[in-house]
Amino acid sequence: MNVELYYFQPLGTNSGRVYLALLEKGVPFVEREVSGRDFEHLKPAYLAINPKGQVPTLVHDGHVLTEGMLINEYIDEAFEGPPLRPDDPRERWRMRLWCRYSENDLGRCLMMINWNRVVPTFAGDRSIDEVRKILESVPDPDRRRSWLNAFQQTTPPEQLEESHRRTREGVRKVERHLSAFPWFAGQSHSLADIDFLNFCGFMARWMPEVMNEKDTPATMEWLARMEERPAVKELRARTSFNFGPPPQAQAQPAAAAGE
Amino acid sequence: MLELYHWEPNAASARVLIALNEKGLDYASRFVDLLAFEQHRPDFLALSEGGQVPVLVRDGEPFTESSYICEYLDEAYPEHPLMPQAPLARWEARGWQKYVDDHLAAAVSELAWNRYRPEGFDRASEGAPTPERRHAWGEAVQGYSEERIAQAKERILLAVAKTEERLAKSDWLAGDAFSLADIAVFSYAYYLPRLFPEAVSADAAPRTADWLRRVSGRPGVKRALASGRSGDPFATAAPGPERVRWG
Repeated sequence: MNVELYYFQPLGTNSGRVYLALLEKGVPFVEREVSGRDFEHLKPAYLAINPKGQVPTLVHDGHVLTEGMLINEYIDEAFEGPPLRPDDPRERWRMRLWCRYSENDLGRCLMMINWNRVVPTFAGDRSIDEVRKILESVPDPDRRRSWLNAFQQTTPPEQLEESHRRTREGVRKVERHLSAFPWFAGQSHSLADIDFLNFCGFMARWMPEVMNEKDTPATMEWLARMEERPAVKELRARTSFNFGPPPQAQAQPAAAAGE
Repeated sequence: MLELYHWEPNAASARVLIALNEKGLDYASRFVDLLAFEQHRPDFLALSEGGQVPVLVRDGEPFTESSYICEYLDEAYPEHPLMPQAPLARWEARGWQKYVDDHLAAAVSELAWNRYRPEGFDRASEGAPTPERRHAWGEAVQGYSEERIAQAKERILLAVAKTEERLAKSDWLAGDAFSLADIAVFSYAYYLPRLFPEAVSADAAPRTADWLRRVSGRPGVKRALASGRSGDPFATAAPGPERVRWG
């Protein structure tokens, strides 16, 4: 059996969710780090593996798997190890809703907010024309537009404000949920917890005005339980980014790029 | 007891109607008249926070989001499975469903909306229950811009290229049997012969055109498509915006 994972450092969002699922499942894998800052995911060598130019990619015995949420269900179905999904179909339904919410709803708002702070720094000394040229190899037209918006800082201010509003509301929604259930899917730890941790868990450090002990105690308690898990400790130990004190200007989730 | 709150057998409503009929499950049909904005009434909002069909109710408990309703049905009622067995094929089936959710659904709906936009929807956004839905309706009521429609067509052509490529390998989109993947794509793609005929013509996309015919001919699909009120789902296509990628 041969398992390889192509991912970005630092380990968060889409790369972090799959990396953590492999650790939780106890699947040994070969690490293939891809450099987002060098746009390695858009170079021919990587596009030959994953033509979408996205990270992460899991290669299992020659089969190429993409899309983090779906890779994770695959990991749970294809490998031996502790279950990462509840048995109860109703809890599984709930798990999938929260996986998508973490990634596509709240996660997307956070990405918009963070991208506008960090993506322009990726350009380095490159001119906007050079960046534009690199982005021509992003195969998906929607992603290409998002990248360009972030580079050029052309995300409309009202959209950014809307993302902040959705974030505040989303955190309240999560707090209500975690006040009623110990885990996102319900009674057991699952892929939904893995996803929320990776897409949104960093808010406690980076956006403490929104997620904190006073306003979101159930979420903070869940977060503390997550950080105690051996697999999460392992994830933290292997990431290039110190999830410690809040970053100031440039220390940002580069992993958010390219997804 | 299963109840399904749904609209005409198109888009997301079609996905669950087809799944129920293909599995041969009994359900009570609860028609939600989107043209009368029944989806924004308090009793329906109690089932779906965003005011969106379909909603499956099992013994009083609501389930939303068509991709996950379909997979729930397949897991809760294992007879006549609509998901492949092998993990790799299951991954592929989920991939098509996610692709529909993230790309195809909005693209087809935007095209359909501009074409078939019903009268009297100018103030539709006012009744939408959440800011997200008000925003989506606000865009829709103005009619989508030419740029937006061009982007939608671009996405549809990419999707058809994908189905063509996949159908060269087997008759169905995931594994080697009919599955939730076929249901998801079909529920939007079956508009295309009328909406964007050059994309799915026998010349441009022979395998996709043939696949559309084969899916349409399945008894479960026929029953589902016959379960609407108007008898012509095209006349009432996409009466509202789909979720689109944020950011």
